[in-house]
Amino acid sequence: MKAPWFDYQAPTSLADALAVLGQAEGDGRVLAGGQSLMPMLNMRIADPAVLVDINRIPGLDGIEETDASLSVGALVRHADILNSDAVRARWPLLHEATTYVAHPAIRNRGTVCGSVSHNDPAAEHPSILATYDGTVVIASAEGRREVPAGEFSQGMLTTALEPGEMVVGVRYARPPEGTGSAFVEFARRLGDFAIAGAAALLTVRDGVCERARLTIVGMGEGPLRATAAEDALTGTKLEPGAAPGLFADVAHEVKATLDPAEDVHASSGFRRHLAGVMVQRALTAALMRTRETR
Amino acid sequence: MSGLRFVNEKAVGTSVLPDEARPLLDGEARFLNDIAFPGMYHVAFLRSQHAHALLRGVDTSRAKAHPGVIKVLTGRDLHGKVEPFRSMPNRFSGGQSVQDWLAVEKVRFVGEAICAVVAEDRATAEDAIELIEVDYEPLTPVTNPRDGEKDDAPRIHDTCVNNYLIKREYERGDVDAAFASAHLTVRRGFRIGRKQALCLEGRGCVAAFRRDGFELSMWMSHQLPYVVRHYLARHLGMAENQVRVVAPQTGGGFGQKASIYPEEFVCAWLARLLRRPVKWVEDRLENMVASTHAREQDIELELAVDAQGHILALRSNIWVDVGAYSTYLWSAGMEPLQTGGLMPGPYKVPALRYLTRGVATNKTPVGPYRAVGRPSASASLELLLDETAHRLGIDPVEIRRRNLIDQDEMPYRNANNLVHDNVGYVPCLQMALSKAGYDQLRAAQGQAPAGKLRGIGVACFAELTGLGTSTPVGPGTLLQPGRDAVTLRLETTGTLTIAAALPSQGQRIATAMRQVAADELGISMDDISCLTNDTGMAPYGFGTFASRTAVFGSGAVIQAAAEMRRRILALAAFLLDEPVENLTISSSVVHTLDRGKTLSLRDMAEHSFFSAKDIPQDLNQGFEVTSFYDPKHGSFAAGAHVVVVDVDPDTGAVEIVRYVAAEDVGRLINPAVVEGQIIGGIAQGVGEALLEELVYDEQGQPRTVTLADYLVPSALEVPNIELHHANTPSGALGGFKGCGEGSIIGALGGIACAVADALRQRGGDIHDFPASPERVLRGLGVALDDAG
Amino acid sequence: MAREQSITLTVNGREYTRTVTVRTSLADFLRDHLHLTGTHTGCEHGVCGACTVSLNGRSARSCLTLAVQADGGDVVTIEGLRDDEGEWSPVQKAFFENFAVQCGFCTPGFLITAIELLRGNPDPSEEEIREYLSGNICRCSGYQAIIKAVQAAAAAARGQE
Repeated sequence: MKAPWFDYQAPTSLADALAVLGQAEGDGRVLAGGQSLMPMLNMRIADPAVLVDINRIPGLDGIEETDASLSVGALVRHADILNSDAVRARWPLLHEATTYVAHPAIRNRGTVCGSVSHNDPAAEHPSILATYDGTVVIASAEGRREVPAGEFSQGMLTTALEPGEMVVGVRYARPPEGTGSAFVEFARRLGDFAIAGAAALLTVRDGVCERARLTIVGMGEGPLRATAAEDALTGTKLEPGAAPGLFADVAHEVKATLDPAEDVHASSGFRRHLAGVMVQRALTAALMRTRETR
Repeated sequence: MSGLRFVNEKAVGTSVLPDEARPLLDGEARFLNDIAFPGMYHVAFLRSQHAHALLRGVDTSRAKAHPGVIKVLTGRDLHGKVEPFRSMPNRFSGGQSVQDWLAVEKVRFVGEAICAVVAEDRATAEDAIELIEVDYEPLTPVTNPRDGEKDDAPRIHDTCVNNYLIKREYERGDVDAAFASAHLTVRRGFRIGRKQALCLEGRGCVAAFRRDGFELSMWMSHQLPYVVRHYLARHLGMAENQVRVVAPQTGGGFGQKASIYPEEFVCAWLARLLRRPVKWVEDRLENMVASTHAREQDIELELAVDAQGHILALRSNIWVDVGAYSTYLWSAGMEPLQTGGLMPGPYKVPALRYLTRGVATNKTPVGPYRAVGRPSASASLELLLDETAHRLGIDPVEIRRRNLIDQDEMPYRNANNLVHDNVGYVPCLQMALSKAGYDQLRAAQGQAPAGKLRGIGVACFAELTGLGTSTPVGPGTLLQPGRDAVTLRLETTGTLTIAAALPSQGQRIATAMRQVAADELGISMDDISCLTNDTGMAPYGFGTFASRTAVFGSGAVIQAAAEMRRRILALAAFLLDEPVENLTISSSVVHTLDRGKTLSLRDMAEHSFFSAKDIPQDLNQGFEVTSFYDPKHGSFAAGAHVVVVDVDPDTGAVEIVRYVAAEDVGRLINPAVVEGQIIGGIAQGVGEALLEELVYDEQGQPRTVTLADYLVPSALEVPNIELHHANTPSGALGGFKGCGEGSIIGALGGIACAVADALRQRGGDIHDFPASPERVLRGLGVALDDAG
Repeated sequence: MAREQSITLTVNGREYTRTVTVRTSLADFLRDHLHLTGTHTGCEHGVCGACTVSLNGRSARSCLTLAVQADGGDVVTIEGLRDDEGEWSPVQKAFFENFAVQCGFCTPGFLITAIELLRGNPDPSEEEIREYLSGNICRCSGYQAIIKAVQAAAAAARGQE
């Protein structure tokens, strides 16, 4: 389990990194945290010509909050998210989801943007970004572009990134006042990739759901926004007694749209069943938290 | 044996801090991969990508030309030059399994070694492996034993009809009559997945050739250095005294490092060929497919009981998926024979019949792993007892009480022909129940946290440890262990060295033997050191496996110490001019009982060696004593585990909320070490019961080849274990029993029964383990396959 | 392309300059180049935790870090845990006294991780200890002695303050 040969570059400016990446003609890989890439190298599943180590580039490790959004740079580690008081206080869904990511030593190295770029369907961060109506900030030697999270994921381990491009940051849109959030996940052990998970944001005013965001994790294609369920929830009364039945119906509808792949940990049917359970639990917890925020 | 007045009880029974652990805490211990020599080459293996295929051609030309590559070795290069691993045909085996060190004509499992590449470093060797082209002609694989035994199944070994590597039927007592006259008969199926030991350190070796001294020195991460030495010499055509095998610090064994494998033997051959040291370190991807697997059993069993639940007869039908080859030395019979033969466990079974098979499949061979065969034997019967109790309307504990072998019935010969003696099955159960507060647990079973189903499991087990030469090993096994030696040497500084070929993989064997020797000889523990790993220094011994090492090592130390003490006191009597009866030893000093005269062991030893002329020769025989110990029979250890689980009926998640164990492992040498062994065994049982499973697809491709897919328990999955001792001394010297394996038996049974108990509350049940969340939900009847 | 690179880094307080191939992992560098073999590789894909070292003050999997990435960095391994007087750190001492070491292959990663835990949380609950250590696999102990040791180390460290 020794990595194959590659050319290693550790530029100290973004411009240099993008230049190297551009010259690699699609055969370059960005090395940020390396917690997904390095195992693939050691197993010789990945064989890039060039590794572009961005860890020496200043200015990519910022967590910045504005009235409208939260920006997370390409070198922000999972541990940085967990240590951020701002994230904990005002972006609780991001905080909560990150507690499910791997283990301390992995969190110390692995990055949010790396996870989004890798787009493992069982990973938390792509789904959280989608739930927050997030944006992926992409740069190449040619310039910058921004892609909505929903368009960034293009299937399992596949994204909108073109050769020569890298993710330099992600941006989460601030939900309205009165929003409760919840992330739930089912894995065989804490820190393992999810078999199924769900992220929910519910905005409730005067007992009526004004806005709903619901994303399913682990269904095989990357983050899966349950937009039909979001639409169905919007405008409904979310009263304490009525919610369980409503959420069960929503979960049932969501399940009907899912056809996940099987793997050694779960058949397709079990994964779909769990998705329903996770949806119900996420919505229930999110609703509870809308009350807590009042 | 030892005169009682010399026995100092201070060290044995005390949790002496193990000096052996110090280098491990400083990062200074020397594991296999930490050993390096100048000029050492590195080896990597090309492994089969196919489960079952003919090798049409192997083109190594590009690999050979790769810079840094020294040698590329194929099966054809070895063919006819070394003796392959052949199973020993016997009256129960269908045919012979022949395993070439590197595949020649055919590959039989994914991961089987085809070529060895020697290079200047490991990464280069791996580069070269990618340049070898293999022309496979795929054959239909066999991937489960029930298909594999069919007449039209593809044959894995030419001589093995129906792919049987072993098939045995055993009967004792009138089983049919018992079933015909029974008040109730209950039948169940039980299946356990394939797993592996998952030592944190994989296998590996450094093989070094030298013209003078030992021609071949092997450092090997292994449990049985002397056995390896014997077979290395035999297969390489060398004299045994030209071979030295050292087991360095070893990062886990659990049986996986007790078999003989091709890779190390290829390295030994390469070292002689190249006249250079070569190193091979098994990486994790290799370890998942190239080191022996375990379990994978499919059992149907049936119990006949009278109206009170007394067992009248037990019969079982067992299929074990033993993989592609008969594991060398231990044979493919291990799991099938032990599961069938040891199923009665601690219960009185008057009549027993089993039909057990080891069917070859195109998977990694199954070999020894902690408590071979017994966890499934025990758990399947425990689950059947629970179901029987349920049908009879009695408590699960009651049916166990009525069937356990009581101490006043011992010695008791069971239908499997094993004699139970000096073991407390009932005391273990009583202690576990009282410590757990079983009655209250049952009474409060309905008060689980909201939405959870609570289950309580009770499992009792028997574990035969420290097997001597009179205990038969299964047919087909190439060795009959049961005699091990230690050498005690009083050095000229008065310190004592213990040498034994009983390597430790963390069991603190050295500390245990030092404790025993300290008590037997009156030498301070600080003055005793222990070597346990080197055939160049230690007397013969079979090594560490089957919960035997503490029993054999201690027994041999006690025997040798008696002679050593006799020699010490005889000489001291002469030097002090006192009668022997008037002398004793304590704190490394010989003294008269009234302490009027003293002679330090240091002075005595120096005198005996450097100024011997004034000592009569018969009093100065040298202070080096070797003694072989054979306990003849084994000693039964025992335990009872009470497990409480909460099952989430929505997700199938199982949480162990309480775990109480009571164990009888005989007289304790070092209680803290023993507890570490027992709790560690339970942790592996948690994995076996809930998490760990090696999965293959229908083409024989392994689907769990990383630690992200093969799930071993972390600190979050293993509960806090409340451990209690209910020890009954064994009949072995010192009263010791083995403690390394038993607890994993109780863990599988206890957890399995607890999960089934939880499911039973909603009319569910479970027959397949590990109890993954999906299996739990299926056991509850949750429909998972219909969309939406 | 350059297959080798010269790097300078501090390991256990001592500065080293070495030339390494760029594909060498930090774990292999420590073991093969600096002969600090106390750091163990148990899986080389980041799951088992045996190779965990401290890199620039944070625990990191040395199997998932390239040696060249540690250029200019500060690494602490198990060999660097004794204090300036040569005494064991409280965690090492507690591991010894609580029988938290069996085969010892996982020990280097547990020590580094436990020390990091106690630095951030001097009085962790059992649940917090279990969670923080859940990325380190021990196959021998069942974790109980390790958890006891971390609790004992925490208590000892608090007692000294």
